[in-house]
Amino acid sequence: MARTPHIAVIGGGSTGIGIARDLAMRGLDVTLVEQGNLTHGTTGRMHGLLHSGGRYAVADQASATECIEENRVLRDIATHCVEMTGGLFVKRPEDSEEYFQKKLDGCKECGIPAEVISGEEARAMEPHLAKDVEKAITVPDGAIDPFRLVVANAASAEEHGARIETHSKVTDLIIEGGEVVGLEVDHASGSGKRVHGTEGGTEEIRADYVINATGAWAGRIGDMADVDIAVRPSKGVMTIMNIRQVDTVINRCKPKGDADIVVPHETTAILGTTDEEVEDPEDYPEEGWEVDKMIDTLKELVPMLEEARTIRSFWGVRPLYEPPDVGSDDPTDITRDYFLLDHDERDDLQGMTSIVGGKFTTYRMMGEEISDHVCAKFDIDAECRTADEPLPGSEDFSVLRDYMDEFGLRSPIGRRSVERLGSRADEVLKTSDPNPTVCGCEGVTRAEVQDAIEQSGSDLNAVRIRTRASMGNCQGGFCCSRLASELHGEYSEDIAREAWDELLQERWKGQRHALWGEQLSQAALNYALHSTTQNRDNDPADGNPVDFAAFDSGVSAGEAPRTADVAADGGRRDGD
Amino acid sequence: MSDAQSPTDFDPVEPNTGHDFEPVDVFPDSNDFDLRPGADSCFKCSVCDTNCPVAEVDDDFPGPKFQGPEQWRLKQTDDDYEIDDSVMSCSNCMRCDNACPSGVPLSQMHNTARGEYVEEQMSKTDIEYWRNRILSNYRLSASIASKVPRLSTWAMNFGPARWLMEKTMGVTKERDFPDFAPQTFREWWAERGGADASRRNAQQRREELGLDRNADRKVAYFHGCYSNYNTVGVAKAMVRVYEHYGYEVVAPEQKCSGTPMFANGMLDDARRHAEVNVSSMSDLVDQGYDAIASCTSCSMALRQEYPELFDIDGIEKVSSNTFEAVEYLRIHEDVKADVQAAEVSGELAEEFAYHAPCHARNQGLERQSVELFRDLDGAGIEDVGESCSGISGTYGWKEEKYEKSMDIGEEMFEHMEHADGEVGMTECPTCAMQMEHGTGYEIRHPLELLEAAIVN
Ligand SMILES: Cc1cc2nc3c(=O)[nH]c(=O)nc-3n(C[C@H](O)[C@H](O)[C@H](O)COP(=O)(O)OP(=O)(O)OC[C@H]3O[C@@H](n4cnc5c(N)ncnc54)[C@H](O)[C@@H]3O)c2cc1C
Ligand code: SF4
Ligand code: SF4
Repeated sequence: MARTPHIAVIGGGSTGIGIARDLAMRGLDVTLVEQGNLTHGTTGRMHGLLHSGGRYAVADQASATECIEENRVLRDIATHCVEMTGGLFVKRPEDSEEYFQKKLDGCKECGIPAEVISGEEARAMEPHLAKDVEKAITVPDGAIDPFRLVVANAASAEEHGARIETHSKVTDLIIEGGEVVGLEVDHASGSGKRVHGTEGGTEEIRADYVINATGAWAGRIGDMADVDIAVRPSKGVMTIMNIRQVDTVINRCKPKGDADIVVPHETTAILGTTDEEVEDPEDYPEEGWEVDKMIDTLKELVPMLEEARTIRSFWGVRPLYEPPDVGSDDPTDITRDYFLLDHDERDDLQGMTSIVGGKFTTYRMMGEEISDHVCAKFDIDAECRTADEPLPGSEDFSVLRDYMDEFGLRSPIGRRSVERLGSRADEVLKTSDPNPTVCGCEGVTRAEVQDAIEQSGSDLNAVRIRTRASMGNCQGGFCCSRLASELHGEYSEDIAREAWDELLQERWKGQRHALWGEQLSQAALNYALHSTTQNRDNDPADGNPVDFAAFDSGVSAGEAPRTADVAADGGRRDGD
Repeated sequence: MSDAQSPTDFDPVEPNTGHDFEPVDVFPDSNDFDLRPGADSCFKCSVCDTNCPVAEVDDDFPGPKFQGPEQWRLKQTDDDYEIDDSVMSCSNCMRCDNACPSGVPLSQMHNTARGEYVEEQMSKTDIEYWRNRILSNYRLSASIASKVPRLSTWAMNFGPARWLMEKTMGVTKERDFPDFAPQTFREWWAERGGADASRRNAQQRREELGLDRNADRKVAYFHGCYSNYNTVGVAKAMVRVYEHYGYEVVAPEQKCSGTPMFANGMLDDARRHAEVNVSSMSDLVDQGYDAIASCTSCSMALRQEYPELFDIDGIEKVSSNTFEAVEYLRIHEDVKADVQAAEVSGELAEEFAYHAPCHARNQGLERQSVELFRDLDGAGIEDVGESCSGISGTYGWKEEKYEKSMDIGEEMFEHMEHADGEVGMTECPTCAMQMEHGTGYEIRHPLELLEAAIVN
C-alpha cells in the first residue's frame, strides 16, 4: 500500500486549523505551522459572529447560503463555543423600506429562517434598543468564540495524529523541479509547546503537499514561489464593551455601511466594524477616531452605548480576495466567498494550493473542500467527518449542575467555567487541590489555568485565549501577576517574568483606544498597582535573579500577631 | 386604638397619581432594575472588600465586590444563571456602599441579587426561609406580642422555648428578646390626644419662642416598629423635643420600613410595606411635612433603598424629604448652642460610650452625636470607633451567624469597656441590642439625652 501522504498546512487561523483537523481525521499525516500562537492572525481579531447568512442575503447569496448551512453544523459540533443569541436586523425610520423587504425576501431565498417583528416586540426582547426603531427581522445569528473553536480543532487534530507547531514561521518554500516539496521553518523556541527561553532553530519540513492558509498573508507565501496571489487586505475596527448592552446580535438593516453591528460575546458586547483597504496586513494605522465614529453611529441603534464603558479596541484585516477580472473599487463590494487556488492549474507550480477569502463561519466547509481536493490528488477515498463528529468539549454535556457540590465553585463561576470547558469540565475542574479564583472578572479558577498551561506551555497569551483570564474589565490589572505565578513551579522565575511581560504588553496594547472615563480610571489604578506593588515601573530584579533563599519564612502560624493600639475615640474632626 | 389607626388631622385625599400619570409597567417586577451602569463603574479596587465586616470574620464570604458588580457581570448571559448562595451571608450593613470610591450601588446590587435568590432558588418549604421570614416580619410578631407585653417578654425568653426555637428554627438562644413596653408608643400618642394635642403644644411653644403661632413647622414621624413596641421612651423623646422647638408632629399610618426584609431578600414583603409607607408619607410631604425617623436604618430605607429598589409613585419625593431626627434639628435649629448652655442631671448624667451605626455612617451622620453632646455639662460622650457592631438587624439572630456576629462586635465591645462610662449610646435599636448583649451596659438613644438636656 502507498505511504500515507504528508501534508503541510501553513497558518494557524480558523482556515488552517479546520483543514488540519479534516485531513488528520481522514488519516493523512499533517503538520501545521503557525508563526504566532493559534489565532494570531485575523481569527483572533474578528467579531465573533456566527453568521446566519442574513448579512449577505441581498448582495452575496452564495455566501449567505453557505453561512446558514455551516451555522447549523457548528451549533451541533461546537456547542461549547457557540451561544445561540439570535439576531435582529433593525430598521430605523430613515432606513429604506425597500431594502428591508429585499432583506426579508433574500433570507427566505437562502433558506434563512426570518420573521418580521414590530418595534415594540424588538424592544421587549432588547430593552435598550432605540425608541424609534420601527421594526426588525429575526434571524438565527449567534455568538462564537474563535479562540475556543480553534483550540478545540487543534486538540482534535492532534488526537488524530497531527503535529501542530506554533511560534514557527515559514521563511521559505522548498521548490524542486517546479514542485513545492517542503517548508523552511524558523522555530522561535524549539518545537512542541512553547516555553520561553528554549533555544529556537530552523527546520526543514518535507511534505508531499503544501496548503497555504495564511489568509491576509497568502500573497507573501505566494511571493516565495513567485506566484501572484492578490489578496486585498481590508481592516476593520472592533470595540469591546465592559458588559452586554444587548443579548441578541443587533444588525442595522441597511445596504452597507460602517459600524452597523453589536454582538454580545461572553460577558461583553463587541461593536463593529469598518472596512478599509490596507497595504500591509501587519502594519496599518489604528486610529482613535475610528472608534469614536463607530460608537457615534451605533448609538443610533443602542443609545446607552454612548455612556457605556469600553474596555478595549482592536483591529483585524479581512483576507479578501477577488478574481483578477472583477476589479471592485470599494472593499465592501468584494465577495465574502472563498477561493481555492490550485497553483498547478493556475501557475504551473505543483504541490501547493492556496485558500483565500471566506469567513470564520464557513471555516469547516472550506476545510472540507480543500481536503477533498487534496485527497483527490492522492487518490484517497476518505469521507469527511468534521460535520458530524463533535469537537472535544462539545460531546454531550450539560451546563446545569450543582457547582458548589461538584467542584466547590460559586455558582456563576462554576457556570462560566463549565460553559468554557464543555464536556472537559469534569476532567479539568475536579481537583482535590485548593482551587481559588485567579481571574475575578471572568471567573477563571486555578484548575482551568493549570489545564491551559499544560496545553500551551509558558505562553500566557495562549493561556488567556483558552480561559479568558485577563480579558475582563480590569484587563489583567489584577490577575496578570497571578497568572505568572501559576507558571512558577514548573517553570523558572525568569521564564515566568518573560511570559508576564508579554501578557502585560498585550493587555495594555488594546486599551490605548479606550482610555477615557471608567477605563481610564482602571488604567490609572492598574498602573499604580503594578508600579507600587510589583515594581513594574522599574524593577531592579528584572534580569537579575533574586536570592529568595535569603528571605526568612515570616511569622509562623502559632505566634500571636502584633496588635496595634487603636484609639477608641475618633478624635475631633469638625474643628469646632 | 389600634396601632394601625391613622392620625386624625388630615383627610387622605384621592390616590395622588396626578393627572398625566400614566401607569406604565416599566419594571414589571422589582428585580428588573438595570444595574448596567453600576457594573460599568467598578474598577475592581477592592476597597469595598476591605471595608466589609463580614468578610473580615467569615472566610467563606466572598465579599461585596463579588456579590455585586462581579456576579452581576458574570451572570448576565441568560436567565438560567443562579445567584450564589453566599449572598445570604451579607448582613446588609451597607458599609461597602459607602466605601466604594466609584459610586457602585453595591447594596442595591446585593438587595436585588438576594431578592432573586430568595424568590427563585430558596425553597419555600425550607425552615430557613420561614425563620428569615419571621425574623424580618418583626413588626407582625411584635404587634401580637405587645397585646400581652409582660407575658410575651417572659415567654419569648423562657429557656426551654428558646432551646426549641434554636433547634427547630435556627434562632440563636444566646440572645434575649427585647422587652415589650407595657404601652406602645401609638397607644400613648392616642391617649395624649394625637396630632391635635401636638399642634396645640407646638403652637404654645412657638409663642414662647417668639415665633409666629402658625409657623410652618410640621413633621411626620416615622417611628418604625422598635420604638413603637419596645423603646417607647425614644419615640416620646422625639415628640417632646420636636414640640419643644415648635414643631407639630403627626404619626401617620405606617408599616415596617423594610430594612430586615431587604437583608433577608424578602422583596415582596418589603414592597408591600413600602407601598403603605410611601403612600402616607408622600401625601404629607405634599402638604409640607418632612419625614423624620429616629432609627437610622429606617431613614436609610426611605432615603436610599426605596428609590433604588422600587418604583412606587411619590417615592423620590419621600426619599428627598426624609431626615434622621437629630440631623434635622441640627440643620434647622441651633441645638448645639442650646446643648452647650444646658446641664443634665439625674438618670442621664452619665459618661456614654457612643457607637455610630453603619447605616448612620452611610448617611454621613456618624459624628453628629459626639459633636452635639461633647460640650454638655453633666454628661460625657466618647466615640468607640468605626467598627461595625456586628448584629445588623436580623443577622446576629441567626444561629449560624451568631458567632460571626459576636466576632465582628468584639472590637466595639472592647472599646466600650475601655471608655469611661458604663452606659452606651447609639441611634440604632439592633446595634443597641448587640451593645447591651456584649457588655451588659444599658443603652440610650441620643434623643433621650437631648430631651433630658433641653426640654423643661
Ligand atoms: C474586522 C473583521 C471582523 C470579522 N468578523 C467576522 C465574523 O463576525 N464572523 C465571521 O464568520 N467572520 C468574520 N470575519 C472574517 C474572518 O475573521 C476571517 O475570514 C477568518 O478568521 C480568516 O481566517 P484564516 O485562517 O483564513 O486567516 P488568519 O486567521 O489570518 O490565519 C492566517 C494565519 O497564518 C499565519 N501566517 C501568516 N504567515 C505565516 C508564515 N509565514 N508562517 C507561518 N504562519 C503564517 C498568521 O499568523 C495567521 O495566524 C471578520 C474579519 C474581520 C477583519
Ligand atoms: S452590606 Fe455589609 S456585609 Fe454586606 S457586603 Fe456590604 S459591607 Fe459586607
Ligand atoms: S469599591 Fe467599588 S470600584 Fe472598588 S471593587 Fe468595590 S465596587 Fe468595585
